[in-house]
Amino acid sequence: MASQANQPGGQVNEPIPVGTRLENYRIVHLLASGGFSFVYLAHDENETPVAIKEYLPSTLALRANGESYPRIPEQDLATFRVGMKSFFEEGRALAGLSHPNIVRVLNFFRANETVYLVMRYERGRTLHDHIGRRRGALKEPWIRATFAQLLNGLREVHSNKLLHLDIKPSNVYLRTDGTPVLLDFGAARQAFPAEGMKLPQTFTPGFASPEQHVDRELLGPWSDIYSVGATMYACLGNALLQPADQRLNDDKLGPARRVWEAKYSHELLETVDWCLQLHHLDRPQSVFALQKALRS
Amino acid sequence: MKFSLVRDSRRGMRRVNEDRVGHWESPGALLMAVADGLGGHLHGEIAAHLAIESFGAAFLREARPKLADPARFLSRTMAAAHEAIVRHTEKLQLSDMPRTVLVACVVQDGYAHWSNVGDCRFYLLREGRVIARTRDDTVVQLLVDEGRIREEAIASHPERNRLLQTLGGYQAPRPAGASARLAKDDVLLLCSDGFWGPLTQRQLLHGFIANPLGQAIPDLMALAEMRAGDECDNLSVVALAWGEDEVAAADAAQTVPQREPATDVQDFTATDLDFLRMSDEDIERAIAEIRAALRKNAPR
Repeated sequence: MASQANQPGGQVNEPIPVGTRLENYRIVHLLASGGFSFVYLAHDENETPVAIKEYLPSTLALRANGESYPRIPEQDLATFRVGMKSFFEEGRALAGLSHPNIVRVLNFFRANETVYLVMRYERGRTLHDHIGRRRGALKEPWIRATFAQLLNGLREVHSNKLLHLDIKPSNVYLRTDGTPVLLDFGAARQAFPAEGMKLPQTFTPGFASPEQHVDRELLGPWSDIYSVGATMYACLGNALLQPADQRLNDDKLGPARRVWEAKYSHELLETVDWCLQLHHLDRPQSVFALQKALRS
Repeated sequence: MKFSLVRDSRRGMRRVNEDRVGHWESPGALLMAVADGLGGHLHGEIAAHLAIESFGAAFLREARPKLADPARFLSRTMAAAHEAIVRHTEKLQLSDMPRTVLVACVVQDGYAHWSNVGDCRFYLLREGRVIARTRDDTVVQLLVDEGRIREEAIASHPERNRLLQTLGGYQAPRPAGASARLAKDDVLLLCSDGFWGPLTQRQLLHGFIANPLGQAIPDLMALAEMRAGDECDNLSVVALAWGEDEVAAADAAQTVPQREPATDVQDFTATDLDFLRMSDEDIERAIAEIRAALRKNAPR
């Protein structure tokens, strides 16, 4: 990966080198990177694999030249720490969540001027990959069963007063036994508009609700429900959804009940369309309401 | 304690009044509070009501006859009010969390201690000047702090209603607080944005000069209503005029644990994002909390 200090318009951070020791973990390789963080595969002292997420917002902190410490410009230190506070919110929320359909947090620690979240490493593949391999066209009973479980997890999230805000096929993990796990609570911090004026927004166009684009004051459980609807829409066979902000101007998202008429039950398609309503009050207002609709 | 107090709450042009006001006295202390329930969220008035009730109940429980630590009383009760709203939401399984903003002030031993969450304001007025004022937890206040807009532009800014924190909602509030020694004829003013919003600072200050509270408040309420016109929000005020001489500074030194009151409104609003900053101790504490939660939740 190329790195260039103080590159205007965005920095390129380097991950921690393979083999580095962090507390009782050894970094094996990089799993993923996003605007806020890196995720590494690591082994603990018993060689148990774990996923370690490192807080490192790319617009605020720069790590390069093989150093483990990121450099944080003086004027950004406060914002860096504000973001760190949000990372704590994520850690705190996840630490209190113990649910088979939510990623399990194992540890949390501070090192290298930043903080790390250690999660159980799950084997399987993302729903995104799964849809890709099947070329869409997942079977209705599978969709219903998988989302019923996933929504149990989301219900647990909401009852802990947290919003996920980045539900999409690549943040839903399917274990090898087929059970879904909700991953990546990195956007959950943004349930709190008090913070991160300067932090990058990490929602995903197409899956993010209109209120995430336009008026974050209106965020609520219904915002995650929009994303669940979009994720189901992707399972039906179209993973390229028109972003909600564009839909507000010129809605070109074909209703599921028209696009997949006769291929899926009327009830399922209506439920997907219900979740994808543009006005937040027109959607199911709680996960429970959505689950009820999915059971019908 | 010698003081006069006036309170009022009006509906303005809105269908319901989602503001709530309250004041409670003990022989040694006084508490005043104004809450403004958020419209657009269901049951804003319920949130405001619960928050005011939490403050009243806590005061009656703890002011015997004085509060052990007024500043801590305020921050603890803010948290308790938030919790009360959250519990209520869960109990009734409301689909949306009601929210409210609130400002509260305790007067005890010749000192005023105040705290706010949201955009209800506290003013300390002395001799026609603003001695102290709360910062609003709003986006526009941040813009003012950053020097990007002027104080006077708040009222007309399209984003003036965007709050950074509230009681109720998905995040626990972090209330700001301060305190000051009172001088004779000081005016303590707690009000919702329906009151301060339409008024310029000059109008506000003018209203209190040479007028007793009993006249100043109704006049200013009427002026705010007139200036807001058809857009008039609920407007609420609790105001107190202090009737005792200044206490000696030394005798209450240990009762002022919070930062020194700002001496000028300019200084007060020109603060940076300090209130959001995390210290190393904050970080260590947060990590310790998360680790404790993890241990508690660990399988086996």
